[in-house]
Amino acid sequence: MTLGWLSLAWMLPALFGAAAMMAGARARGVALWGSGLTLSLWFVLGWTYGLEGVESLSESGPVLAWGIRYALFTDGLSWSLCGLTAFLTLLSLLSSWRLRVSAAYWACFLWLEAALMGVFLARDLFLFYVFWEATLIPMFFIIGLWGSENRRHAAMKFFLFTFFGSLFLLLGLLGLVSENHRMTGGWNWDMAALTGPDGGMGLAIFLALILGFGVKVPIVPFHAWLPDAHTEAPAAGSVMLAGVMLKMGVYGILRVAIPAFPKLAWDLLPWLGLLAAVNVIYGAICAMAQSDLKRLVAYSSVSHLGFCLLGVFSRTPEGLTGGSLQLINHGLSTGALFLLVGFLYERAHRRGLADFGDLASRAPWMTLFFSIAIFSSIGLPGLNGFVGEFMSLAGMTRVFAGLAVAGVLGVALSAAYALPAYQAVFWREPGPGSVSAQVGDLDGREKAILWALTVLMFAIGLYPKPWLEMIWSAMQGLQL
Amino acid sequence: MNLVPWSLWLLIASPVCAILAVFFFVRPRKPQWSHWPILGSCALVCLAATDLTSRVYAGMVLDVPVAIWMLGGDWYLPFGFRVDGLGTAVLLMVAWVGALIQVYASGYMKHDPGFSRFVLLFHLFYLAMIGLLVSNNFVQLYLFWELVGVCSYFLIGFWYQKESARRAALQAFLANRVGDFGLMLAVLLLMAMTHGNTSFSSVFRLLPAAPTEMVTLAAFLVFWAATAKSAQFPLYFWLPDAMEGPTPVSALMHAATMVTAGIFLLVRAWPLISSIELLPQLIGWVGAATAIGAGLVACAKTDLKRVLAYSTVSHLGIMAFALGFGETAPAVFHLLTHGFFKAVLFLCVGNIAHALGKASVGVDETGGLAAKMPLTFGCFTAAALSLAGLWPFAGFYSKDSILDAAFHQGGLQAAAGVAIAFLSSFYIFRMLFLSFLGPRREQRGPGHAHEGEPVLGIPVFFLSLGAVGAGWLSGPLSRLLASGWMLRTGMSPVPDWTWNGLFASQACALAGVGAAYFLTTLRPQWDWDWRRRFPRVERLLESDFGWKPTVAAFSALVVEAAGMFSRGWDTRLWDGLVESTADWAKRGGERAASLATGQLNDYLWWMLAGTTGLLYLVLR
Repeated sequence: MTLGWLSLAWMLPALFGAAAMMAGARARGVALWGSGLTLSLWFVLGWTYGLEGVESLSESGPVLAWGIRYALFTDGLSWSLCGLTAFLTLLSLLSSWRLRVSAAYWACFLWLEAALMGVFLARDLFLFYVFWEATLIPMFFIIGLWGSENRRHAAMKFFLFTFFGSLFLLLGLLGLVSENHRMTGGWNWDMAALTGPDGGMGLAIFLALILGFGVKVPIVPFHAWLPDAHTEAPAAGSVMLAGVMLKMGVYGILRVAIPAFPKLAWDLLPWLGLLAAVNVIYGAICAMAQSDLKRLVAYSSVSHLGFCLLGVFSRTPEGLTGGSLQLINHGLSTGALFLLVGFLYERAHRRGLADFGDLASRAPWMTLFFSIAIFSSIGLPGLNGFVGEFMSLAGMTRVFAGLAVAGVLGVALSAAYALPAYQAVFWREPGPGSVSAQVGDLDGREKAILWALTVLMFAIGLYPKPWLEMIWSAMQGLQL
Repeated sequence: MNLVPWSLWLLIASPVCAILAVFFFVRPRKPQWSHWPILGSCALVCLAATDLTSRVYAGMVLDVPVAIWMLGGDWYLPFGFRVDGLGTAVLLMVAWVGALIQVYASGYMKHDPGFSRFVLLFHLFYLAMIGLLVSNNFVQLYLFWELVGVCSYFLIGFWYQKESARRAALQAFLANRVGDFGLMLAVLLLMAMTHGNTSFSSVFRLLPAAPTEMVTLAAFLVFWAATAKSAQFPLYFWLPDAMEGPTPVSALMHAATMVTAGIFLLVRAWPLISSIELLPQLIGWVGAATAIGAGLVACAKTDLKRVLAYSTVSHLGIMAFALGFGETAPAVFHLLTHGFFKAVLFLCVGNIAHALGKASVGVDETGGLAAKMPLTFGCFTAAALSLAGLWPFAGFYSKDSILDAAFHQGGLQAAAGVAIAFLSSFYIFRMLFLSFLGPRREQRGPGHAHEGEPVLGIPVFFLSLGAVGAGWLSGPLSRLLASGWMLRTGMSPVPDWTWNGLFASQACALAGVGAAYFLTTLRPQWDWDWRRRFPRVERLLESDFGWKPTVAAFSALVVEAAGMFSRGWDTRLWDGLVESTADWAKRGGERAASLATGQLNDYLWWMLAGTTGLLYLVLR
């Protein structure tokens, strides 16, 4: 079998990760090259092959055993998520440029990128699961080795909790494949070709898959790992965690759970939609009560992923497309917020709302970027967040208006958690014990990172058409 | 695309280009020059608005999609423009009043360290309102509606070092978000009912086929949204506190942008609203209650800007009151005249504050300003006469057509009309007499106050021309409004004034002026006396009849409840349970470890049991 371009897309960062590990003091340069090349590869492939072209890049090796084979494919959805991964990895590496960390730090990010690329490119479910689990390892080290005070505890909690979810995922996948074997008499791990059984067994497998993917999303009440992991991870780790890793859950639901059980997913719509609506409200309410900036952003992610799920479960064209676009949007705006909080932490070693104040006069650029990111995150029309939220809600309104009400309520609540925090950090006069004096404005490198994100926020907010078309091409089979 | 006239592109493109140019080129180099591109853009916008209005007046109506914003499969949302009588009538006022206020602001804010930021936000605010007026579909309207809200947030909180400004900005944005909840949900429901259509022209056409309950719900939600933006009870409370922004912000917000958006939305959605039984009446009653309540509160305020703020709430109530009778044209007419005279009043107060070197001025710090600031006094008087609705000033024509309708209804409506007419002339003349005549014993007097630079005087002068004369244009306005009106019945023109109406409204207004003169000048101490004698009445009015504390208590309750939920359930119970699993596992492990006794015998027993079990499973 010959390896193609798609294999290169995950092997390139993996190899550069190994190189960075051995490069010692020059690791960060090697890592930057690796992620830069990966992003370029993504861009050049997309540019030269076009949308239909990248779909033809799929690779399929011989059967190894029990129908398992090395098979990769891509389409509009997975290609855009690969782009998000490559883009955010590059920005994460750039954002940690000044950190004094060992070579392993840089290698871990590249290995994480490789595993994530693999998740989004895999077609064979076994391969998918291998990559899925592989993402845990570098992230475990990123949190546990380079996080803040409580990092060991958070890393362990993250690993155990998501591993617990993965077990259900494994059960679900095995059940799906073996039931398929029982029905057809052949072993098949192709995620596009599997259909689940009916009846009680089907329900059990579907619920196992939803649980497995739901821990990653996270679907309330399986979110307990998220606030700790996001808060204790280093800034760049939080970016990857919220920006890309949460998306794996929704991606799995779109790729595996719904295609295998199209009817069941529709019959359970009220319950699945209810889970999503609870996510939106639950995350918003908890975010309102946080006094740690990073924790607040983490809970807001719970709320935002609820919007994605509302759209995806509605199974309407606008809901599916908007919910998937919201995956990208959330990566950009929450990525920007985590980066900004990271820059604050780098300067002052604090994250509490009470530790800052009056940054608007001290750090105008930081204020500007934070304002844009926070308004994008709370769904201001004209910025990217609104497009995804609105389309998701429009889809849900069409099939189940009652659940959309909860979503709209979540939009209203988002201002109630975001703006008080914004004002506390940037407007209020600094209280006693404030560390605002240590906060200088962004330097050129940091500004460049945030400009990149901000330009995309405006671009998607005002002209989302190309992105939506790209994603829609992958969604046609999923609508009802 | 060639259907779209150049002036429409200019209307949108020139503010966008000006804002980008100032942000990227002027601000980094010469921030003190920021206002020049912006003022140029204002001139172009006025030109474009005038051109569009004259085209619509000549019979052109435009409703075109120009681009696709979002799409998914066969579902899509367009960007588009609708230029019709309603839109351009408001647009013309917004463009000119807004431009004059920006000229004023570029002088007023000259020495503020945040001048450049201010000018940018101010122009974005203006752009948002203009975009709202020419939108042809609900979602695009929602875009600009929210953008207006965000700009107001940053402008109210412009002096963010002040605690009160921060609180006012937050309150304004959150109250508006509560309203936006209604608009967004209404838009979603309307889209779902009309198969994804959002443009006004097709939504209203398709509605009769939709389920009645959902349409009713959507219409009520639209009104809910309007109560927030246009400051009606129960969501009006953000507007008076929004005074914390710089004075030009208040002027723009109260006269041209922001608060007019809610009334505009109601008129825009009139085919929807009027199809619901009792909804117009509800709007009318809410409007009347707001108008009277805010009028009463305005009589008791001592801060000049606050008097004007409550007066705005009251006047928006009058517009809603008019809508209650189905009188859309008079409501829009009053919106336009109100824009002129309210802008003048605010800018005059700005001039007084500027002259006294303060950000906000109370009644106690003024008195006897007439002699020292004759131009301001003249303009203020003209605007006050207009606001009170005295002939032949602009306010008379618009208010008279509303009062006429109220008198026709008779009964409670007529009584409400009388009360509103009396109250508005009373509070504005009380303010006029207290600040410009005197000074009284309790007042500080004019001191060294003097007129400001020309840039602070000239825009006010031009605006007061509008406050005096805008009313004479009711005929052309009726014709303009009728073009492109979306109901088959046609928009009824602004009614001509009648002798009965004239006498009744003039009597009410003059009674108000007389009462104000009596209680401020013939009994100069009255305004201070009654507060001492009836402190409970003052407290009642100060708390807006108890509504402000209620809102505060409710929002505190929400925050408290969220905190309890998060800490009690999410952190302590649920996360605690998750965390404790480690402990449980450890304890379980210790128990299990006790099985590992180290005795070969024990292990063999276990192995035997296991093998038996397996055998059973296989052979079963």
